[in-house]
Amino acid sequence: MKFKLIYPKWEKLEGQTIFYLPPHGPVVMAADIPDYVDIDFTDENVEELIIDETPDFVGISMMLTTQVQRGWAIADQYRKLGKKVIFGGISTMLHAEETMLHADSVFLGEVEGRLTDIFEDFRKNELKKVYNFMAKPPDMNLVGPANRDILKKDLYYHKGFRMVDLFHASRGCIYDCYPCAVRYLGGRGFRPRPIYRVVEELSQMDNNRLFIVDNSLALDTAWEKELFKAMIPLKKKWVSHTIEDKDEVLDLAAQAGAWYVYQAVFDTSDYIRNRIKQYHDYGIAVEGTILLGLDNQTEDDIKRLIDFLLEINLDLAEFTVLAPFPHTKAYSDLVKQNRIFDHNWDHYNAGKVVYHPKHMSAERLQELYHYAWDTFYKDEPQPMKMFNLISRVINREMEDGTYQPRRRDLIDVSFGKMV
Amino acid sequence: MEINIAFDAYMDRYFDFPGQWDTPSRCGVKIIRRKDGKSLVIATEIYRQNPGTPVTEWVAPLATQIMQHIEEQPENYIFIEHTPDLRSKLTFYDETFDKVDFDWDGGKFINPRWTRLSKVEVDKMMEG
Repeated sequence: MKFKLIYPKWEKLEGQTIFYLPPHGPVVMAADIPDYVDIDFTDENVEELIIDETPDFVGISMMLTTQVQRGWAIADQYRKLGKKVIFGGISTMLHAEETMLHADSVFLGEVEGRLTDIFEDFRKNELKKVYNFMAKPPDMNLVGPANRDILKKDLYYHKGFRMVDLFHASRGCIYDCYPCAVRYLGGRGFRPRPIYRVVEELSQMDNNRLFIVDNSLALDTAWEKELFKAMIPLKKKWVSHTIEDKDEVLDLAAQAGAWYVYQAVFDTSDYIRNRIKQYHDYGIAVEGTILLGLDNQTEDDIKRLIDFLLEINLDLAEFTVLAPFPHTKAYSDLVKQNRIFDHNWDHYNAGKVVYHPKHMSAERLQELYHYAWDTFYKDEPQPMKMFNLISRVINREMEDGTYQPRRRDLIDVSFGKMV
Repeated sequence: MEINIAFDAYMDRYFDFPGQWDTPSRCGVKIIRRKDGKSLVIATEIYRQNPGTPVTEWVAPLATQIMQHIEEQPENYIFIEHTPDLRSKLTFYDETFDKVDFDWDGGKFINPRWTRLSKVEVDKMMEG
Protein backbone atom coordinates (compact mmCIF):
# COMPACT_ATOMS: atom_id res chain seq x y z
CA MET A 1 0.00 0.00 0.00
CA LYS A 2 1.32 3.44 -0.94
CA PHE A 3 0.71 6.02 1.78
CA LYS A 4 1.47 9.64 0.91
CA LEU A 5 2.29 11.56 4.09
CA ILE A 6 2.36 15.34 3.71
CA TYR A 7 3.56 18.17 5.93
CA PRO A 8 1.97 21.34 4.47
CA LYS A 9 3.97 24.51 3.91
CA TRP A 10 3.31 27.82 5.63
CA GLU A 11 4.41 31.39 5.10
CA LYS A 12 7.46 32.32 7.18
CA LEU A 13 7.71 35.51 9.19
CA GLU A 14 8.77 38.54 7.23
CA GLY A 15 12.35 39.73 7.73
CA GLN A 16 13.54 36.83 9.85
CA THR A 17 16.25 34.27 9.20
CA ILE A 18 14.57 31.35 7.49
CA PHE A 19 15.50 27.80 8.34
CA TYR A 20 13.67 24.51 8.19
CA LEU A 21 13.94 21.72 10.72
CA PRO A 22 12.93 18.14 10.01
CA PRO A 23 9.37 17.90 11.34
CA HIS A 24 8.66 15.77 14.38
CA GLY A 25 4.98 14.81 14.11
CA PRO A 26 5.31 12.87 10.84
CA VAL A 27 8.29 10.80 12.06
CA VAL A 28 6.49 9.93 15.29
CA MET A 29 3.44 8.91 13.28
CA ALA A 30 5.55 6.91 10.81
CA ALA A 31 6.96 4.80 13.65
CA ASP A 32 3.50 3.34 14.31
CA ILE A 33 2.54 2.67 10.68
CA PRO A 34 2.49 -1.07 9.87
CA ASP A 35 5.43 -2.49 7.93
CA TYR A 36 3.43 -3.45 4.84
CA VAL A 37 2.79 0.26 4.14
CA ASP A 38 5.15 2.07 1.79
CA ILE A 39 5.45 5.65 3.12
CA ASP A 40 6.25 8.50 0.70
CA PHE A 41 6.80 11.64 2.77
CA THR A 42 6.78 15.20 1.44
CA ASP A 43 7.67 18.21 3.56
CA GLU A 44 6.21 20.91 1.40
CA ASN A 45 8.43 23.54 3.02
CA VAL A 46 11.51 22.09 1.35
CA GLU A 47 10.21 20.33 -1.75
CA GLU A 48 7.41 20.62 -4.24
CA LEU A 49 4.30 18.54 -3.64
CA ILE A 50 3.01 16.77 -6.72
CA ILE A 51 -0.61 15.82 -6.31
CA ASP A 52 -1.49 12.84 -8.48
CA GLU A 53 -3.25 9.49 -8.36
CA THR A 54 -0.19 7.52 -7.23
CA PRO A 55 -1.02 7.06 -3.54
CA ASP A 56 -3.62 4.63 -2.23
CA PHE A 57 -4.15 6.63 0.94
CA VAL A 58 -3.13 10.16 1.97
CA GLY A 59 -2.16 11.47 5.40
CA ILE A 60 -1.72 15.13 6.29
CA SER A 61 0.23 15.96 9.42
CA MET A 62 -0.14 19.51 10.74
CA MET A 63 1.67 21.15 13.62
CA LEU A 64 0.86 24.84 13.23
CA THR A 65 -2.33 26.79 12.90
CA THR A 66 -0.73 28.50 9.90
CA GLN A 67 -0.62 25.12 8.14
CA VAL A 68 -4.27 24.21 8.38
CA GLN A 69 -5.69 26.12 5.44
CA ARG A 70 -2.98 24.77 3.14
CA GLY A 71 -3.58 21.27 4.55
CA TRP A 72 -7.29 21.55 3.85
CA ALA A 73 -6.61 22.71 0.26
CA ILE A 74 -4.32 19.73 -0.37
CA ALA A 75 -6.94 17.36 1.02
CA ASP A 76 -9.64 18.87 -1.18
CA GLN A 77 -7.52 18.21 -4.26
CA TYR A 78 -6.79 14.59 -3.33
CA ARG A 79 -10.41 13.93 -2.49
CA LYS A 80 -11.42 15.24 -5.92
CA LEU A 81 -9.17 12.50 -7.29
CA GLY A 82 -11.09 9.98 -5.20
CA LYS A 83 -8.35 9.48 -2.61
CA LYS A 84 -9.14 9.02 1.07
CA VAL A 85 -7.45 11.56 3.34
CA ILE A 86 -6.72 11.28 7.06
CA PHE A 87 -5.46 14.21 9.16
CA GLY A 88 -3.42 14.11 12.34
CA GLY A 89 -1.07 16.22 14.41
CA ILE A 90 -1.27 19.06 16.87
CA SER A 91 -3.13 21.59 14.76
CA THR A 92 -5.56 18.93 13.55
CA MET A 93 -6.52 18.61 17.22
CA LEU A 94 -6.70 22.39 17.64
CA HIS A 95 -8.91 22.76 14.55
CA ALA A 96 -10.67 19.40 14.55
CA GLU A 97 -14.21 20.45 13.64
CA GLU A 98 -13.08 22.59 10.69
CA THR A 99 -10.64 19.92 9.54
CA MET A 100 -13.41 17.31 9.48
CA LEU A 101 -15.03 19.30 6.65
CA HIS A 102 -12.02 18.48 4.44
CA ALA A 103 -11.23 14.98 5.65
CA ASP A 104 -12.39 11.41 5.31
CA SER A 105 -11.00 10.87 8.76
CA VAL A 106 -9.30 12.82 11.55
CA PHE A 107 -7.07 11.33 14.19
CA LEU A 108 -7.15 13.03 17.59
CA GLY A 109 -4.64 12.12 20.25
CA GLU A 110 -1.34 10.24 20.28
CA VAL A 111 -0.66 7.48 17.75
CA GLU A 112 1.27 4.78 19.57
CA GLY A 113 -0.51 1.44 19.27
CA ARG A 114 -3.37 2.86 17.21
CA LEU A 115 -2.43 2.98 13.54
CA THR A 116 -2.45 -0.74 12.71
CA ASP A 117 -6.21 -0.81 13.29
CA ILE A 118 -6.75 2.38 11.31
CA PHE A 119 -4.87 1.09 8.26
CA GLU A 120 -6.88 -2.11 8.56
CA ASP A 121 -10.08 -0.03 8.58
CA PHE A 122 -8.85 1.70 5.42
CA ARG A 123 -8.17 -1.65 3.73
CA LYS A 124 -11.70 -2.79 4.59
CA ASN A 125 -13.12 0.55 3.41
CA GLU A 126 -14.41 1.12 6.95
CA LEU A 127 -12.49 4.27 7.83
CA LYS A 128 -14.17 6.15 10.69
CA LYS A 129 -14.79 9.89 10.50
CA VAL A 130 -13.07 10.46 13.84
CA TYR A 131 -10.53 8.42 15.76
CA ASN A 132 -10.75 10.04 19.14
CA PHE A 133 -8.04 9.16 21.64
CA MET A 134 -7.95 12.56 23.35
CA ALA A 135 -8.76 11.11 26.76
CA LYS A 136 -6.74 7.92 26.27
CA PRO A 137 -3.04 8.72 26.12
CA PRO A 138 -0.89 5.67 25.37
CA ASP A 139 1.38 3.94 27.84
CA MET A 140 4.65 5.88 27.62
CA ASN A 141 6.52 2.56 27.41
CA LEU A 142 5.07 2.30 23.91
CA VAL A 143 6.70 5.53 22.77
CA GLY A 144 9.73 4.14 20.99
CA PRO A 145 12.13 5.66 18.46
CA ALA A 146 10.60 7.85 15.78
CA ASN A 147 10.97 6.70 12.17
CA ARG A 148 13.32 9.30 10.68
CA ASP A 149 14.00 7.09 7.67
CA ILE A 150 11.04 8.73 5.92
CA LEU A 151 12.91 12.07 5.82
CA LYS A 152 14.96 13.18 2.82
CA LYS A 153 17.75 14.27 5.12
CA ASP A 154 19.78 16.22 2.56
CA LEU A 155 16.95 18.77 2.38
CA TYR A 156 17.66 19.91 5.96
CA TYR A 157 21.11 21.35 5.33
CA HIS A 158 22.06 25.00 4.92
CA LYS A 159 25.34 25.46 3.04
CA GLY A 160 26.63 22.13 4.31
CA PHE A 161 25.47 22.64 7.92
CA ARG A 162 22.97 20.09 9.14
CA MET A 163 19.96 21.34 11.07
CA VAL A 164 19.09 19.90 14.46
CA ASP A 165 16.76 16.90 14.66
CA LEU A 166 13.68 17.14 16.85
CA PHE A 167 13.24 14.75 19.71
CA HIS A 168 10.95 14.44 22.71
CA ALA A 169 11.45 12.92 26.14
CA SER A 170 8.06 13.69 27.71
CA ARG A 171 4.51 14.78 26.96
CA GLY A 172 1.86 16.80 28.76
CA CYS A 173 2.30 19.63 31.21
CA ILE A 174 1.14 20.38 34.74
CA TYR A 175 0.76 24.09 34.02
CA ASP A 176 -1.94 25.97 32.19
CA CYS A 177 -0.01 28.90 30.77
CA TYR A 178 -1.99 31.70 29.24
CA PRO A 179 -0.97 31.36 25.55
CA CYS A 180 -0.37 27.58 25.54
CA ALA A 181 -2.61 24.71 24.38
CA VAL A 182 -0.58 21.81 25.75
CA ARG A 183 -3.14 21.28 28.49
CA TYR A 184 -5.65 20.41 25.73
CA LEU A 185 -3.20 18.60 23.48
CA GLY A 186 -1.18 16.52 25.88
CA GLY A 187 -3.21 16.54 29.05
CA ARG A 188 -2.79 18.20 32.42
CA GLY A 189 -0.39 15.58 33.70
CA PHE A 190 3.34 15.34 33.05
CA ARG A 191 4.12 12.07 31.26
CA PRO A 192 7.82 11.39 30.97
CA ARG A 193 9.13 8.62 28.75
CA PRO A 194 11.03 5.91 30.61
CA ILE A 195 14.73 6.80 30.51
CA TYR A 196 15.65 3.54 28.73
CA ARG A 197 13.27 4.49 25.91
CA VAL A 198 14.87 7.94 25.60
CA VAL A 199 18.37 6.50 25.49
CA GLU A 200 17.28 3.87 22.97
CA GLU A 201 16.10 6.56 20.58
CA LEU A 202 19.01 8.95 21.13
CA SER A 203 21.50 6.14 20.54
CA GLN A 204 19.96 5.47 17.13
CA MET A 205 20.09 9.09 15.96
CA ASP A 206 22.96 9.91 13.64
CA ASN A 207 22.59 13.67 14.21
CA ASN A 208 24.69 14.96 17.08
CA ARG A 209 22.62 18.14 17.45
CA LEU A 210 19.09 18.00 18.73
CA PHE A 211 16.15 20.12 19.75
CA ILE A 212 14.39 18.52 22.70
CA VAL A 213 10.90 19.81 22.03
CA ASP A 214 9.36 18.99 25.43
CA ASN A 215 7.30 21.90 26.74
CA SER A 216 9.51 22.17 29.78
CA LEU A 217 12.37 20.36 31.42
CA ALA A 218 11.36 21.79 34.76
CA LEU A 219 8.51 19.55 35.81
CA ASP A 220 10.04 16.60 37.67
CA THR A 221 13.45 17.04 39.26
CA ALA A 222 14.21 13.37 39.86
CA TRP A 223 13.35 12.36 36.29
CA GLU A 224 15.27 15.31 34.84
CA LYS A 225 18.38 14.36 36.77
CA GLU A 226 18.11 10.74 35.67
CA LEU A 227 17.57 11.87 32.09
CA PHE A 228 20.62 14.12 32.03
CA LYS A 229 22.82 11.52 33.72
CA ALA A 230 21.80 8.99 31.09
CA MET A 231 22.50 11.46 28.28
CA ILE A 232 26.05 12.35 29.32
CA PRO A 233 27.75 9.36 27.63
CA LEU A 234 25.86 10.03 24.37
CA LYS A 235 27.67 13.38 23.92
CA LYS A 236 24.74 15.00 22.10
CA LYS A 237 24.45 18.79 21.97
CA TRP A 238 20.96 20.05 22.40
CA VAL A 239 18.55 22.93 22.55
CA SER A 240 15.49 22.83 24.79
CA HIS A 241 12.87 24.86 26.53
CA THR A 242 13.27 25.89 30.16
CA ILE A 243 15.47 23.79 32.42
CA GLU A 244 14.84 23.81 36.15
CA ASP A 245 16.77 26.45 38.10
CA LYS A 246 18.33 24.11 40.66
CA ASP A 247 22.12 24.15 40.47
CA GLU A 248 22.49 20.37 40.52
CA VAL A 249 20.04 20.08 37.60
CA LEU A 250 21.77 22.75 35.52
CA ASP A 251 25.15 21.18 36.22
CA LEU A 252 23.93 17.81 34.94
CA ALA A 253 22.22 19.47 31.97
CA ALA A 254 25.48 21.15 30.99
CA GLN A 255 27.35 17.86 31.27
CA ALA A 256 24.62 16.21 29.18
CA GLY A 257 25.22 18.68 26.35
CA ALA A 258 22.80 21.56 26.94
CA TRP A 259 23.71 24.05 24.22
CA TYR A 260 21.08 26.72 24.58
CA VAL A 261 17.62 27.08 26.05
CA TYR A 262 14.50 28.98 25.13
CA GLN A 263 13.62 30.96 28.24
CA ALA A 264 10.51 33.10 28.51
CA VAL A 265 11.40 36.65 29.52
CA PHE A 266 8.18 38.18 30.77
CA ASP A 267 9.38 41.06 32.94
CA THR A 268 12.41 43.09 33.98
CA SER A 269 12.81 41.50 37.40
CA ASP A 270 15.95 40.36 39.19
CA TYR A 271 14.51 36.87 38.97
CA ILE A 272 14.85 36.93 35.18
CA ARG A 273 18.25 38.64 35.32
CA ASN A 274 19.54 35.97 37.71
CA ARG A 275 17.94 33.16 35.73
CA ILE A 276 19.84 34.19 32.60
CA LYS A 277 23.08 34.60 34.55
CA GLN A 278 22.61 31.18 36.12
CA TYR A 279 22.35 29.51 32.68
CA HIS A 280 25.42 31.40 31.50
CA ASP A 281 27.36 30.35 34.61
CA TYR A 282 26.89 26.74 33.47
CA GLY A 283 27.91 27.51 29.88
CA ILE A 284 24.35 27.27 28.59
CA ALA A 285 23.35 30.00 26.15
CA VAL A 286 19.89 31.58 26.24
CA GLU A 287 17.44 32.53 23.53
CA GLY A 288 14.85 34.73 25.22
CA THR A 289 11.29 34.24 24.06
CA ILE A 290 9.38 37.46 24.46
CA LEU A 291 5.64 37.62 24.07
CA LEU A 292 4.31 41.07 23.24
CA GLY A 293 0.77 42.38 23.57
CA LEU A 294 -0.39 40.84 26.82
CA ASP A 295 -3.01 42.74 28.76
CA ASN A 296 -0.50 43.68 31.46
CA GLN A 297 1.84 45.40 28.97
CA THR A 298 1.71 49.07 28.06
CA GLU A 299 3.82 50.57 25.31
CA ASP A 300 6.32 51.76 27.94
CA ASP A 301 6.49 48.27 29.44
CA ILE A 302 7.41 46.82 26.06
CA LYS A 303 10.11 49.42 25.45
CA ARG A 304 11.55 48.91 28.94
CA LEU A 305 11.54 45.15 28.39
CA ILE A 306 13.56 45.51 25.18
CA ASP A 307 16.12 47.75 26.95
CA PHE A 308 16.35 45.13 29.69
CA LEU A 309 17.05 42.37 27.16
CA LEU A 310 20.04 44.28 25.89
CA GLU A 311 21.35 44.65 29.46
CA ILE A 312 21.19 40.98 30.41
CA ASN A 313 23.29 39.69 27.51
CA LEU A 314 20.79 37.37 25.93
CA ASP A 315 22.43 35.32 23.22
CA LEU A 316 19.37 35.49 20.98
CA ALA A 317 15.87 36.86 21.31
CA GLU A 318 12.68 35.79 19.60
CA PHE A 319 9.81 38.26 19.69
CA THR A 320 6.26 37.22 19.05
CA VAL A 321 2.91 38.86 19.41
CA LEU A 322 0.23 36.99 21.27
CA ALA A 323 -1.48 34.59 18.89
CA PRO A 324 -4.70 33.38 20.49
CA PHE A 325 -4.64 29.78 19.39
CA PRO A 326 -7.81 27.77 19.98
CA HIS A 327 -7.95 25.86 23.26
CA THR A 328 -5.81 28.37 25.14
CA LYS A 329 -6.91 30.63 27.96
CA ALA A 330 -5.79 33.54 25.80
CA TYR A 331 -8.27 32.52 23.12
CA SER A 332 -11.10 31.99 25.61
CA ASP A 333 -10.53 35.35 27.28
CA LEU A 334 -10.38 37.26 24.01
CA VAL A 335 -13.46 35.49 22.63
CA LYS A 336 -15.35 36.32 25.82
CA GLN A 337 -14.41 39.96 25.41
CA ASN A 338 -15.10 39.93 21.65
CA ARG A 339 -11.60 41.27 20.91
CA ILE A 340 -10.49 38.99 18.06
CA PHE A 341 -10.93 40.78 14.73
CA ASP A 342 -9.02 38.50 12.34
CA HIS A 343 -10.12 34.87 12.00
CA ASN A 344 -7.89 33.94 9.06
CA TRP A 345 -5.75 31.11 10.45
CA ASP A 346 -2.93 31.95 8.02
CA HIS A 347 -2.39 35.10 10.08
CA TYR A 348 -1.92 33.21 13.37
CA ASN A 349 1.85 33.09 12.95
CA ALA A 350 2.72 35.04 16.11
CA GLY A 351 3.98 37.89 13.94
CA LYS A 352 0.64 39.45 13.02
CA VAL A 353 -1.73 41.09 15.45
CA VAL A 354 -5.18 39.51 15.16
CA TYR A 355 -6.88 40.99 18.24
CA HIS A 356 -7.39 44.33 19.95
CA PRO A 357 -4.68 44.77 22.63
CA LYS A 358 -5.78 46.29 25.91
CA HIS A 359 -3.38 49.24 26.15
CA MET A 360 -2.74 50.21 22.52
CA SER A 361 -4.12 49.82 19.06
CA ALA A 362 -3.46 46.69 17.03
CA GLU A 363 -1.46 48.84 14.59
CA ARG A 364 0.74 50.19 17.37
CA LEU A 365 1.44 46.71 18.70
CA GLN A 366 2.39 45.64 15.18
CA GLU A 367 4.86 48.55 15.02
CA LEU A 368 6.31 47.66 18.43
CA TYR A 369 6.80 44.07 17.30
CA HIS A 370 9.00 45.28 14.42
CA TYR A 371 10.67 47.82 16.72
CA ALA A 372 11.60 45.00 19.12
CA TRP A 373 13.28 42.90 16.42
CA ASP A 374 15.06 45.90 14.91
CA THR A 375 16.27 47.28 18.25
CA PHE A 376 17.53 44.03 19.70
CA TYR A 377 19.47 43.10 16.56
CA LYS A 378 20.62 46.61 15.66
CA ASP A 379 24.25 46.29 16.76
CA GLU A 380 24.70 42.59 16.10
CA PRO A 381 22.35 41.12 13.49
CA GLN A 382 20.57 37.84 14.07
CA PRO A 383 22.75 35.79 11.64
CA MET A 384 25.88 36.98 13.50
CA LYS A 385 24.45 36.02 16.89
CA MET A 386 23.44 32.62 15.49
CA PHE A 387 26.94 32.16 14.07
CA ASN A 388 28.36 32.83 17.56
CA LEU A 389 26.14 30.11 19.00
CA ILE A 390 27.14 27.65 16.30
CA SER A 391 30.82 28.43 16.89
CA ARG A 392 30.38 27.59 20.55
CA VAL A 393 28.88 24.21 19.84
CA ILE A 394 31.51 23.42 17.24
CA ASN A 395 34.24 24.14 19.79
CA ARG A 396 32.60 21.81 22.29
CA GLU A 397 32.21 19.11 19.66
CA MET A 398 35.83 19.41 18.66
CA GLU A 399 36.84 19.06 22.32
CA ASP A 400 34.87 15.85 22.81
CA GLY A 401 35.49 14.41 19.34
CA THR A 402 31.92 14.52 18.06
CA TYR A 403 32.33 17.25 15.44
CA GLN A 404 30.91 16.35 12.05
CA PRO A 405 32.38 18.62 9.36
CA ARG A 406 30.21 20.53 6.92
CA ARG A 407 29.04 18.51 3.94
CA ARG A 408 31.20 19.82 1.08
CA ASP A 409 28.76 18.45 -1.52
CA LEU A 410 26.00 20.64 -0.06
CA ILE A 411 28.05 23.79 0.38
CA ASP A 412 26.09 25.64 -2.33
CA VAL A 413 22.72 24.29 -1.29
CA SER A 414 20.24 25.68 1.22
CA PHE A 415 17.32 23.44 2.13
CA GLY A 416 17.37 21.66 -1.19
CA LYS A 417 17.83 24.77 -3.36
CA MET A 418 21.02 26.03 -4.98
CA VAL A 419 22.22 29.34 -3.54
CA MET B 1 -0.81 28.31 39.56
CA GLU B 2 0.01 25.75 42.23
CA ILE B 3 -2.84 26.62 44.56
CA ASN B 4 -5.68 24.30 45.40
CA ILE B 5 -9.06 25.84 44.65
CA ALA B 6 -11.23 25.28 47.70
CA PHE B 7 -14.99 25.48 48.12
CA ASP B 8 -16.17 29.00 48.95
CA ALA B 9 -19.17 31.26 48.65
CA TYR B 10 -19.31 30.69 44.88
CA MET B 11 -18.61 26.96 44.72
CA ASP B 12 -19.84 24.29 47.08
CA ARG B 13 -19.64 21.08 45.04
CA TYR B 14 -18.06 19.58 41.94
CA PHE B 15 -19.86 18.81 38.71
CA ASP B 16 -18.36 16.09 36.52
CA PHE B 17 -19.16 16.27 32.84
CA PRO B 18 -18.04 14.81 29.53
CA GLY B 19 -16.15 17.67 27.90
CA GLN B 20 -15.05 18.14 24.34
CA TRP B 21 -14.25 14.84 22.61
CA ASP B 22 -15.74 13.09 25.65
CA THR B 23 -12.81 14.09 27.81
CA PRO B 24 -13.67 13.54 31.50
CA SER B 25 -13.93 17.03 32.94
CA ARG B 26 -14.84 18.73 36.20
CA CYS B 27 -15.85 22.18 37.36
CA GLY B 28 -17.05 23.72 40.61
CA VAL B 29 -20.72 24.69 40.92
CA LYS B 30 -23.05 26.55 43.18
CA ILE B 31 -26.75 26.25 42.54
CA ILE B 32 -29.07 28.80 44.11
CA ARG B 33 -32.85 28.58 43.97
CA ARG B 34 -33.84 32.23 44.17
CA LYS B 35 -36.94 33.67 45.76
CA ASP B 36 -38.20 34.74 42.34
CA GLY B 37 -38.30 31.08 41.30
CA LYS B 38 -35.26 31.23 39.04
CA SER B 39 -32.19 29.06 39.36
CA LEU B 40 -28.82 30.76 39.36
CA VAL B 41 -25.84 28.55 38.60
CA ILE B 42 -22.23 29.59 39.11
CA ALA B 43 -19.77 27.33 37.26
CA THR B 44 -16.19 27.70 38.43
CA GLU B 45 -13.10 26.84 36.42
CA ILE B 46 -10.87 24.82 38.72
CA TYR B 47 -7.78 24.76 36.49
CA ARG B 48 -5.45 21.93 37.49
CA GLN B 49 -8.18 20.17 39.42
CA ASN B 50 -10.08 19.87 36.13
CA PRO B 51 -8.56 17.05 34.07
CA GLY B 52 -10.36 18.01 30.88
CA THR B 53 -12.16 20.80 29.07
CA PRO B 54 -12.22 24.28 30.64
CA VAL B 55 -15.59 25.84 31.43
CA THR B 56 -15.26 28.63 28.85
CA GLU B 57 -14.51 26.26 25.98
CA TRP B 58 -17.53 24.09 26.75
CA VAL B 59 -19.83 26.65 28.24
CA ALA B 60 -22.94 26.04 26.13
CA PRO B 61 -23.01 22.22 26.43
CA LEU B 62 -22.03 22.52 30.10
CA ALA B 63 -24.83 25.00 30.84
CA THR B 64 -27.24 22.60 29.11
CA GLN B 65 -25.99 19.62 31.09
CA ILE B 66 -26.27 21.42 34.44
CA MET B 67 -29.75 22.72 33.59
CA GLN B 68 -30.90 19.21 32.75
CA HIS B 69 -29.26 17.90 35.93
CA ILE B 70 -31.22 20.32 38.12
CA GLU B 71 -34.37 19.86 36.02
CA GLU B 72 -34.78 23.54 35.31
CA GLN B 73 -36.31 25.33 32.31
CA PRO B 74 -34.25 27.67 30.10
CA GLU B 75 -36.42 30.68 30.86
CA ASN B 76 -35.81 30.23 34.61
CA TYR B 77 -32.09 29.69 34.35
CA ILE B 78 -29.24 32.14 34.95
CA PHE B 79 -25.70 31.02 34.27
CA ILE B 80 -22.56 32.70 35.61
CA GLU B 81 -19.02 31.67 34.75
CA HIS B 82 -16.46 32.15 37.50
CA THR B 83 -12.68 32.01 37.35
CA PRO B 84 -11.12 32.10 40.82
CA ASP B 85 -8.14 34.15 41.87
CA LEU B 86 -5.00 32.05 41.42
CA ARG B 87 -2.88 34.62 43.28
CA SER B 88 -0.68 34.91 40.22
CA LYS B 89 1.39 37.96 39.32
CA LEU B 90 -0.39 37.81 35.98
CA THR B 91 -3.71 39.59 35.73
CA PHE B 92 -5.13 36.83 33.54
CA TYR B 93 -5.56 34.74 36.65
CA ASP B 94 -7.47 37.28 38.72
CA GLU B 95 -10.97 36.43 39.86
CA THR B 96 -13.65 37.15 37.26
CA PHE B 97 -17.37 36.64 36.92
CA ASP B 98 -19.28 36.69 33.63
CA LYS B 99 -22.97 36.27 33.08
CA VAL B 100 -23.39 34.06 30.04
CA ASP B 101 -26.43 34.46 27.82
CA PHE B 102 -27.31 31.88 25.21
CA ASP B 103 -29.81 31.17 22.49
CA TRP B 104 -32.03 28.16 23.09
CA ASP B 105 -32.03 25.77 20.14
CA GLY B 106 -34.46 22.92 20.57
CA GLY B 107 -32.99 21.25 23.62
CA LYS B 108 -29.60 22.86 23.93
CA PHE B 109 -27.93 26.19 24.49
CA ILE B 110 -25.89 27.68 21.66
CA ASN B 111 -24.18 30.97 20.82
CA PRO B 112 -22.76 32.03 24.22
CA ARG B 113 -22.26 35.73 24.97
CA TRP B 114 -20.35 36.91 28.03
CA THR B 115 -20.96 40.04 30.14
CA ARG B 116 -18.44 40.87 32.87
CA LEU B 117 -19.90 41.26 36.36
CA SER B 118 -18.43 42.64 39.56
CA LYS B 119 -18.44 40.56 42.70
CA VAL B 120 -21.00 42.95 44.19
CA GLU B 121 -23.30 42.39 41.23
CA VAL B 122 -22.94 38.62 41.59
CA ASP B 123 -23.72 38.78 45.31
CA LYS B 124 -26.87 40.76 44.52
CA MET B 125 -27.89 38.26 41.85
CA MET B 126 -27.43 35.44 44.34
CA GLU B 127 -29.93 37.10 46.65
CA GLY B 128 -32.50 37.22 43.88
